[in-house]
Formats: sequence, structure tokens, C-alpha cells
Amino acid sequence: MANERTDLMQGTLELLILNTLARESMHGYGIVQRIHEAAEDLLKVEDGSLYPALYRMEERGWIKSEWGISENNRRAKFYKLTRTGQRQLEAQRANWDRISKAVTRILQTT
Amino acid sequence: MRIDRLNFYALLNREKTAFDVEEELRFHIEMLESKYAQHGMPAGQARAAAVKRFGDFERVKQQCVNIKQRSSLVRRLLKISTILLALSGLAVNYLSVEYRVTRIGHLLIAIAIMVRLLLYVRGLGPSTFLPGTRKTVITDTPDDGPNPREA
Repeated sequence: MANERTDLMQGTLELLILNTLARESMHGYGIVQRIHEAAEDLLKVEDGSLYPALYRMEERGWIKSEWGISENNRRAKFYKLTRTGQRQLEAQRANWDRISKAVTRILQTT
Repeated sequence: MRIDRLNFYALLNREKTAFDVEEELRFHIEMLESKYAQHGMPAGQARAAAVKRFGDFERVKQQCVNIKQRSSLVRRLLKISTILLALSGLAVNYLSVEYRVTRIGHLLIAIAIMVRLLLYVRGLGPSTFLPGTRKTVITDTPDDGPNPREA
């Protein structure tokens, strides 16, 4: 099964993170778990690669972070979506729809 | 002397950032480790599996520190420039009634507004669904600084 997992295109990880954080604020580990659960292990997100993406998104103002206490009483950094991030999520969702429709159309016609 | 002090604060800030990043990454590995242990894996194996699944710890840490440092420095400089420009513009307008001079004031205020807009637009950022097939293992992004292992 592991060999059949799909690597992600650049930009997709950001969309998945934005979408995950749209529901609630989470720490990095929670975000990866949520993505794996939702994708039923079909997508391959390398755990470490999440963090540079999170820091870049925070730099752009899409997400905000603050230290809090995790479910196992450990100090953890939680991320939440900003209003700019919400707008970015909508834009990236629309972009994704356009691309997937276009690719599907091409695959069906050729 | 002043430069030494600035370097000291920059170094101190980098140390603090590195400490925070490391704590965050270690939390992730410990969570993975405890998940594997709960699934019945022996402690040593659980630790090894967690570290392996996380990937190159030092490289990820270095990237995060670089992004954080770059982010805070650029933002600070832009914010200070915006305030200084706007204040200069207002001062020029207030101190002079001559049209030629007040135009300079207007220009400074306009530049300040543009810098503020730049900060806002940079926050929005472009979408990056590019046709390239770079993987999500995005640890090779050039603007995140050199790979410490290669240096």
C-alpha cells in the first residue's frame, strides 16, 4: 500500500494545511494526522516537510501561531487560520478545481 | 559598539528562535514515538521509527529558523520605513505652505501607503499550483538558506 501512495505537487500541501486549519486550531502533529486520516493514507506527506511550509505560511500572514498546552499536557505550538489565510484557502480551492477539471478533461479527450 | 550590540541581539534572537523551533519539532517526534509505543512497538524501535518518519531533523530545523529570522527582519524594516516615511511626509506638509514642497510630502505619504500595500499583498501571496512536478519534500527550496550538511 505504501508504494501506491502519491507524492504531492508543490502548493498542494499548503492547500491541505489551510483546509485542515479552517476547522480548528491545531499543532503540527495534529495537522499531519488529520491529513493522513482524511486521505486514508493514500497521500504521502513527510512529517518534517510540514514545518517549513507552516513557517512560510506564517510569514505570508496566512496562519498565526501561539504556544499552548497539548492534549497530553505538553507545551506545543498551535496554528490557526487568519482572515488572509481564509481568503487564500478560497482562492486555492478555486484554483484546484480549475486545474483538476482541466486535467480530467484532457485525459478524457486524448 | 552599537553594531556589536545589534549583532548580540540578533544572535540572542536566533538562539531563542532555534530553541523554540527545536521544542516544536521534538514535540512532534515524541508524539509519533508514543503513538508507535501504543501500537505495541518496543521503546527503542518506536523512537527509531519516529525519527525516521520525521525526516532530516537538523535540516528542517535550520530551514524553519532561517524563515523565521528572515520574516521578522524584513517585516520590522518595512514597518519602520512605513512609519518614518509617513511621518516625514506629514512633517513636510505641516512645515511648508509652498506647493512644490508639499508635493514632496504627498509623495512620501504615497510611498508609505505603497509599502503598506506591499506588506498586505505579500501576505496574500501567489498560489503555487505550477506545472512543475516538485514533490512536497520541499526542503530544497533555495530561499531557505543553505543545507547545513552540505555547508
